[in-house]
Amino acid sequence: MTNDLPDQTEGGAPRAPRWLALPVRVFAGIGGAVLLAMMLMTVASVVLRGTLGRPIAGDFELVELASAIVIFCFLPICQMEGGNVVVDFFTTSASARVQHLLEALGDLLYLALAALLLWRSWHGAVEMRMYDEQTMVLRLPVWWSFAIILPAMALLVATCTATLAHHLRAAVRGERA
Amino acid sequence: MTGIAAGLTGFAVLLALMAIRVPIGVAMLGVGIGGYGLYTGVTPLLAFLKTSTYYQFSTYSLSVIPLFVLMGEFATKAGLSRALFRTAAAFLGHRPGGLAMASIGGCAAFGAICGSSLATAATMAQVALPEMRRYNYSGALSTGSLAAGGTLGILIPPSVILVLYALMAEQNIAKMFMAAIVPGVLAAIGYMIAVAVFVRRNPGAGPAAPRASWAEKLAALRETWSIILIFGLVITGMYRGWFTPTEAAAIGAFGTLVLAVLHGGMRLSGLVECIRGTARTTGMIFLILLGAETFNAFLAQTQTPMLAANMISTSGLSPMLVLLAMLLLYMLLGCVMDSMSMLLLTIPIFYPIIGGLDFGMPREDTLIWFGILAVVVVEVGLITPPVGMNVFVINGMARDVRMAESFRGVMPFLVSDIIRIALLILFPVVTLGVVRLLG
Repeated sequence: MTNDLPDQTEGGAPRAPRWLALPVRVFAGIGGAVLLAMMLMTVASVVLRGTLGRPIAGDFELVELASAIVIFCFLPICQMEGGNVVVDFFTTSASARVQHLLEALGDLLYLALAALLLWRSWHGAVEMRMYDEQTMVLRLPVWWSFAIILPAMALLVATCTATLAHHLRAAVRGERA
Repeated sequence: MTGIAAGLTGFAVLLALMAIRVPIGVAMLGVGIGGYGLYTGVTPLLAFLKTSTYYQFSTYSLSVIPLFVLMGEFATKAGLSRALFRTAAAFLGHRPGGLAMASIGGCAAFGAICGSSLATAATMAQVALPEMRRYNYSGALSTGSLAAGGTLGILIPPSVILVLYALMAEQNIAKMFMAAIVPGVLAAIGYMIAVAVFVRRNPGAGPAAPRASWAEKLAALRETWSIILIFGLVITGMYRGWFTPTEAAAIGAFGTLVLAVLHGGMRLSGLVECIRGTARTTGMIFLILLGAETFNAFLAQTQTPMLAANMISTSGLSPMLVLLAMLLLYMLLGCVMDSMSMLLLTIPIFYPIIGGLDFGMPREDTLIWFGILAVVVVEVGLITPPVGMNVFVINGMARDVRMAESFRGVMPFLVSDIIRIALLILFPVVTLGVVRLLG
């Protein structure tokens, strides 16, 4: 578990420019607020069920909607702050330039995958709207949550691009990893 | 290409990508998507990807994970590590090495509201490390005991890793937690014995502190009731079926939030820090989860796990030998990989194999037992070089202690770990006793 890991953002330049870091943090904040709301709603539902014998209607599907939003909102900040775990055992003795290039390779792969998922999820969202897919109890349209999820995925694509550029620049300059 | 050849090729590419520093989750996702596309065609792949990510992330059972991570974050702000360490020190401090034993005890108790190993080690170290250094404890003993004690965080429930195992191996989370309690307590006792042996051999390493009076002991004990309450509510509520794991985690997170605000004096900036830590950890876990799920979807297409399970169960190898081979593999992998990725990568392949072997007990019991063994074995990787994360973090906090000294300090705890693993393998009842008794 890595919450107290020494910060892996390299000492020098930050991995993302400020205009990108702000929305990334804002989305992490949105994710956090939704997570707190999900926690409070669940506690309230349990209390109501215990006292009045009646939980909040649709509490399970609200948790499902919320948790998707939470997780998509958290992915960009994890990438920006270098929180994704890597195996660095085999590459620690490589030169700084090689290390940056390998980091860039990982970023490029993540960028490609995130872009692919964004493209496919866009189509998924459009179809969900077209077929009017709804939750079971509250009849909430599922595509609503994509109003946050798709921008969060776009932000992930942008963040991967930024970290890719950062590592390429660092490799060219030959900065220490 | 035949199924199993495609599966093995996928594995080889995955390992190669991981070796060159591609993030583990990204590597699994990439190979999974690539393999799926090559094996079943691009059109089904593109259709699969339209909603697979969304449904993966909007699963009710998985929502327990961000909540337990949040609970652990709040726990680090609850200001309880001091109370826990003081309590344990009041009872144990007068013995030689007693403050190191108290660190272990404090970690064990803190692990009861925090499911993360690093957070447990780091939070306890903030309080226990200065105290041990003040009483002239050696660098090796003080950093070693905290690094080892931290591993109790992922064994003593609630534990994020146990949740992940239960979800992947289709086991009941509450039963997993119950099964972990005795091995967790055993681990704490084993570590305390390791401290006692260490100070007997190096009497200067852990001098005794003054004995606390009974009044002091009772006063210290009083401060810890809140942890007992939260732990008891979360664990019994889940086990009794009063609430689902997600609900238990929400209640636990809410309880620790209240503690952090009232007892720990957390304000808005602290809350923001907790959210940020939760975001990083949750993002990391779910990228690996998404990668593992996608990779497994590909593997399932190639039927590799099923074929492997068949091959092993008909090969005539003794079940115990297969089990030992897997645990050995975990120890080796643990030298280069972090524990969570390792489990997420291997469990989907290992659990059908283990589930198909006859250990003289029901399949469910076997899988619970194996899960505890796997977690215990991978946690050893947290304190062994070269990846020993806990040792690095604690050593970073004790600036005057050399890294080699810290790794020397964890040696007695490793011995205790190995003895405990042997006990757990030889006597499954240690793990399963509580589950059977209450089940």
